[in-house]
Amino acid sequence: MKIKERKRDGVAILEMSGKIMGGPDAAAFSETLKTLLHEGVRNIVVDLGRVNWINSTGLGILISGYSTVKKSGGELKLLNPSERIQSIFMVSKLHTVFQSYRDEEEAVRSFA
Amino acid sequence: MDQDHPRIELKIPSQLLYLGVPDAILMELAGDLPFGQKEMDELSTSVIEACTNAMEHGNRMEELQPVEIHFDFDDGRIVVTVYDHGPGFDFEGWHPSEELLRERGRGINIMREFTDSLEFGFAPDGRFRARLVKSFNGQA
Repeated sequence: MKIKERKRDGVAILEMSGKIMGGPDAAAFSETLKTLLHEGVRNIVVDLGRVNWINSTGLGILISGYSTVKKSGGELKLLNPSERIQSIFMVSKLHTVFQSYRDEEEAVRSFA
Repeated sequence: MDQDHPRIELKIPSQLLYLGVPDAILMELAGDLPFGQKEMDELSTSVIEACTNAMEHGNRMEELQPVEIHFDFDDGRIVVTVYDHGPGFDFEGWHPSEELLRERGRGINIMREFTDSLEFGFAPDGRFRARLVKSFNGQA
């Protein structure tokens, strides 16, 4: 898993790519979020458009991140999950937790 | 299962890095088998979960302890068997937590939802195995 970070209108966009499957991915994602929260950035969009697949351990990484950001008074939302990834969120009922968007501008505006 | 049909056999080390290999095999075949992309995605997601369990809980992430995967292509269905060297677990007695924001314990539920049949047990050689079946017509 790779994470490329950029900001748009005060919202952090985390462009994820590869596979989200646990191991070092957990620490990398957690550290990225901690740094953003320390900088005062609390609105975060996780772009999954370039993620090939995610396993249940990877879901746990996103849930942990969601909970961390929520506790800090912010929000973590998803962008561009593939149909394959959406189906995993559906069977895990996590589509009721994570707000998900198809359009980056719409995702960023949703924090306003 | 008697091997009177096409089979692919694969051994991967117990390192997460290699979880993409069984996925790559199924995705490579996806266009040439009578399954839709959705069905192949569901099967592959389930196989990744089975392999993750085999590595983490079965082989306890001992890198040189292999996870063996058999793909059997048999009369409109794919049967995937994943072998590890662990002590196994009580599948019948396993009940997932209802906590929506739990960070672990979703793998078996994902496999159940995405396959037509899911079984766990010991192979005759003593290895623990997960057997996943995905059928073209939805019948296991």
